[in-house]
Amino acid sequence: MNNLKLAWRNLWRNRRRTLITSASIFFAVFFALIMRSVQLGTYDHMYKNVIESYTGYIQVQHKDFWDEKIVDNTFPEEAGMNKLLLDDKNVAATIPRLESFALASNGHQSKGVVVMGMDPEKEKHLSKVNDKRVKYRLSPAAINMINGEESVPEKVKEMLALVENKSYSSSSRLQLDLDLEDKEASEVLPLIEKYSKFENGSIHMGEPGVWVGDKLSQYLELGIGDTIVLISQGYHGSTAAGKYEIKGIVKLPLPDLDNKIVYLPLDICQELFNAENMITSLSLALLNTDDKSVNTTMERLSTIIPGEQKLMEWREMNELMVSQMDADDKGGQIMLGILYLVIAFGVFGTVLMLTAERKREFGVLVAIGMQKKKLASVMTMEMILIGLLGIMAGAFVASSLILYGVNHPIVFKGEAALMFEDMGFEPQLAFWPIDNYYISQILIVVFMVLLAIIYPTRKIFGMKVVNALRA
Amino acid sequence: MKHRTKFFVLILMAVFVIPAFGQDLTPREIIQKADEKFNGELTSTAVMAMTIVRPTWERTIEFKNWTSGREYALTLITAPAKEKGQTFLKRQNEMWTWNPTISRLIKLPPSMMSQGWMGSDYTNDDILKESSVVNDYEHELMGEEELNGRLCYKIKMLAKEEAAVIWGHQIRWIDKKDFLFLKSELYDEDGYLVRTETGSEVKLMDGRLITSRIELVPAEEDGQLTIIEMKEMKFNEPIKESFFSQQNMKRIR
Repeated sequence: MNNLKLAWRNLWRNRRRTLITSASIFFAVFFALIMRSVQLGTYDHMYKNVIESYTGYIQVQHKDFWDEKIVDNTFPEEAGMNKLLLDDKNVAATIPRLESFALASNGHQSKGVVVMGMDPEKEKHLSKVNDKRVKYRLSPAAINMINGEESVPEKVKEMLALVENKSYSSSSRLQLDLDLEDKEASEVLPLIEKYSKFENGSIHMGEPGVWVGDKLSQYLELGIGDTIVLISQGYHGSTAAGKYEIKGIVKLPLPDLDNKIVYLPLDICQELFNAENMITSLSLALLNTDDKSVNTTMERLSTIIPGEQKLMEWREMNELMVSQMDADDKGGQIMLGILYLVIAFGVFGTVLMLTAERKREFGVLVAIGMQKKKLASVMTMEMILIGLLGIMAGAFVASSLILYGVNHPIVFKGEAALMFEDMGFEPQLAFWPIDNYYISQILIVVFMVLLAIIYPTRKIFGMKVVNALRA
Repeated sequence: MKHRTKFFVLILMAVFVIPAFGQDLTPREIIQKADEKFNGELTSTAVMAMTIVRPTWERTIEFKNWTSGREYALTLITAPAKEKGQTFLKRQNEMWTWNPTISRLIKLPPSMMSQGWMGSDYTNDDILKESSVVNDYEHELMGEEELNGRLCYKIKMLAKEEAAVIWGHQIRWIDKKDFLFLKSELYDEDGYLVRTETGSEVKLMDGRLITSRIELVPAEEDGQLTIIEMKEMKFNEPIKESFFSQQNMKRIR
């Protein structure tokens, strides 16, 4: 107890030294935690995007569909199996889909596309394609009209040039991309919205009509009311060909998919591919979507799925994305490693300085009868206290920032946002809530501090009192 | 009287010996004869049914086919209902397909020639007869063999260097008496067997004997085969060249 008291007093004998040392630890903890949180949060956000707008967490598929995505690898939609799946406590809804490839064309333009037959009502449980329909599109004509308005400030006109031909499914995103303050927005946005307004229709089961991705529609130069021609191979090698009126244009958060997706009502799609009542997958909307729940749900469901079908988890279905994220994660960890190395040397430097400064003090203490062991333990306690101070302060500041950030992701505006979008990312930094990663990051810093203690203790035990007194 | 006997002998010789001379055909002539017998010397019109057999399913497509020489061919799908009205046209080296549901005329690129026609084991090339069994191969008589009780010529056909064919060589068994393709083995450039075609159920159609059932078995795919049945065939009816037009593709029923 006495030792602790001594250590505590020693710390505040030289305040500046203590604060500098704990500040370097504070930064180590702070940066490591924030970096990790943003990294994990961003991955999660991207996964959510792809899961919620495309694959879903779990899919039931024909056992060969994943390896050979042809319409022959389908299974009939059965009420019995649907009921079995819905009986599971974690399954909220089953969403049938018929997915295949086709050549889409309009006049002389043609492109390979993904054809997705789906039930617009059921998709509301998962992909919510309904909400992703384009509300505003800044066509050159619309921008011209807006530029003609006198009340629009020059700054906004410049930004408009950057977003030419872009589409938006919400006005808040439009406001962010144009870098408008709330006050400005209330004046200018209604004007912009008026000119760029985009009228979308809906598609229903039983009615021929399609929704196409925003980028695809621009590539094929298709608008609402135009006709898209789809040609492909159908069930059992039959010819699948059809022409459909475009009822709406959707903007998906995945540029890759936005480029090539065509949505059809499920029954119309089945008719096109000659696959009456057949589906390629049954996507499951889950109540709890954390990794553990998904895994246990997979285990439970695997017992009730017939042999002709198999279960796929989102990780398997998005293998490419998962491995890209893994690679990025490794890169992030290397960055963290470098950060730790820099900070470890910072901490060690201050400790080195501290030991040198107090060499004479140590000599005197030992000379007047203090045991080296006791001196070393006081020294160790000092270091641990400095470490605790830094770690606690760092974790506290980082936590408050993260807790705020979880609900308020950093959203980029203006040009920076456009740059992100061009690279295929959402212009947003999300935070991951406080989780296991806290423990590992803090443990690493603790380990760093413990490593730094070795030097002064060794110095104390190896000290020659005579030399130390002369220092 | 003596002269008459001589004349009689001459006629007898004409009746017996000349056909015997005819039997002594070159391998190329044998192939040509069999090919012309099946495809018609000038034109042919055929009604056929094609059954595609796969391990888990099978399906039948019915179609009509008109040809004129090697240059022109037109095929019309008549069943099933959903595919009815699709047509395929060949004029010299160019090929098109018309699909009435989307009202689109699509030109088939040469790269699609080796792809399956309507999901079958037949390639577009088989249906549209781009390559010629007579002109694109060097023929060699390998001997005679008996097949299903019929004596056959066994002829090896080696693809010519410059010929645009997808096979390396073929071995064909041709009935000696009626010039029918009874069996063909088709090999790729590396000499591997790709598929076997057998002709059976010889029937009289429009005055000639024809193998009315052709079975096509790919060598590498288990449980796969395609069967073509000739329902009706007519040969050398006059068909104008203008019949094989893009306009007619859309009109023909």
